[in-house]
Amino acid sequence: MIEAVGLSKRYGDKLAVDDVTFQVRPGLVTGFLGPNGAGKSTTMRLIAGLDRPSAGSVTVNGKPYAEHKSPLREVGLLLDAKAVHTGRSARAHLLAIGATHGIGRERVEEVIGMVGLQSVARKRVGGFSLGMGQRLGIATALLGDPATVILDEPVNGLDPEGVIWVRNLVRHLASQGKTVFLSSHLMSEMAQTADHIIVLGRGRVIANASVHDILAQATGGSVRVRTPNASALRQLLELPDVAVTSTQDDLLQVTGIAAPRIGELAAARGIILHELTPVVSSLEDAYLELTQDDVEYRTSEGAES
Amino acid sequence: MTTTTPIDQRNTWHLTFGGVLRSEWIKLRTLRSTVWCYAILVVLTIAIGVLVAVNANSLGHPTGEAARQYVVSLITVGVAFGQLVVAVLGTLVITGEYGTGMIRSTLAAVPKRTPALVAKVLVFGAVTFVISLVSMVLTALIVTPILSGAGIEFSLFDPRILVPILGGSGALALIGVMALAVGALIRNSAGGLAASLGLLLVVPIVLQLVYALTQAKWALNVAAVLPATAAGQMHAYVGSAVEPSQPGVLLLTPWQGGLVLFAWFAVFFVFAAVLLKRRDA
Repeated sequence: MIEAVGLSKRYGDKLAVDDVTFQVRPGLVTGFLGPNGAGKSTTMRLIAGLDRPSAGSVTVNGKPYAEHKSPLREVGLLLDAKAVHTGRSARAHLLAIGATHGIGRERVEEVIGMVGLQSVARKRVGGFSLGMGQRLGIATALLGDPATVILDEPVNGLDPEGVIWVRNLVRHLASQGKTVFLSSHLMSEMAQTADHIIVLGRGRVIANASVHDILAQATGGSVRVRTPNASALRQLLELPDVAVTSTQDDLLQVTGIAAPRIGELAAARGIILHELTPVVSSLEDAYLELTQDDVEYRTSEGAES
Repeated sequence: MTTTTPIDQRNTWHLTFGGVLRSEWIKLRTLRSTVWCYAILVVLTIAIGVLVAVNANSLGHPTGEAARQYVVSLITVGVAFGQLVVAVLGTLVITGEYGTGMIRSTLAAVPKRTPALVAKVLVFGAVTFVISLVSMVLTALIVTPILSGAGIEFSLFDPRILVPILGGSGALALIGVMALAVGALIRNSAGGLAASLGLLLVVPIVLQLVYALTQAKWALNVAAVLPATAAGQMHAYVGSAVEPSQPGVLLLTPWQGGLVLFAWFAVFFVFAAVLLKRRDA
């Protein structure tokens, strides 16, 4: 369980995180979405006590992170940049971090196996690809078998097989009752992985709901209709709240009315339909809609993660 | 993907200071820069000592006090150069973590932060002390037959010889941890190295220049308490009465040298520790 209350972080005159309040609950995968510079990484650093809040507070499992007796048992952290000395081998890195908590070689070999780095564990991290670095970062996060796992952009640089592996891993962790907090700007990935989503824009929480609710709240789905008699159908659909757009002569994009109703209306008038497809709005669309202002902000002010 | 470590074993995982010490020891020995710097320190100390020893024949068989003084200076002559090596390594021990982002992993594991810095200082200081001691003892053993050929005999366990060797080892350890503390303040390899090497090499020269131009004695007195001078005094031979270069100019005894050097370290360390707690990592 992560609880942020009125959390703010100011760097100079830039307010990176602005009065953010949210909870991340155990047993779920919570996605943390937002454009670059929205304050996701900063929020995660505040949770782990790496940065000090300018205002407000954040606790992990009831206490500020630094006050836990065994921090690595509470929180496993993967930050987007490699937080590893490039001159050290992957195994030595894990042994050094684990040693602080008396975590020995047995567990280190176990997490190396879990992330599939056995063949390169002796190699220096400086020569690692981005994907290997991410796997090492995930291994570091899992080292203490923590109750809460915070992963900043975990699929960054991973190949498709790695992406599926991370998805299964976080689902598995959540199924064990752990709190999983996962940032990404890949909506499609979140739709498949997360149960709950917190959207951050310009340092503020702009949405905090289950994936299902976010999809439902987004502007309703549209219906794609293909018909040789498009102009007749267009006239027929001149109803309140119904909007029709068209990119091809025989193709209409209809919003504000359900597909079965369109079919019924067309059948009543004898209009032939070649296609009638409900188009569910994607999480991507919902997200873009939510963060529209912040994308504009980003292009004028420059991006910072 | 299932974890196989038994739960009861996992419940023994706790953050302890002993664990943090072990962690810093693993970090120190698993970097090539450590191995290289220490190898250079050992080779340099022995090589310079041997180089001086092979010229011992030209001294005309000193005995007693003069012989012992010569032996001490020969064994510890490498300290002056070794200072630079341990200052570089001490800086890199901490700035390497900032440069690579490793510091975030370190501080995530030790969120109270201060224990991590203290452990770094203790481990690096202790290892540097031991390696310095070993390199000087090796020097002594290697030059024994050479000096014997020149008619100079000595015992390593003569306190008048052993104490300066311990002093020289302590000097290198303190210079190293001082550089570590400076590195922790500056958090950047280039900046940390410039600051530490500047303090060790450049500031003494500047003070000499000031004295040469103005004849101001304060310049010499300040120079007498600089880290490099204090470190040099820590392995000075104490037998005959030591005279300052000029009347009225400060000259530290080995113990005073040790205290002054420790004070330099302590000041930088306190600032580093306070800022480590306050600053964002």
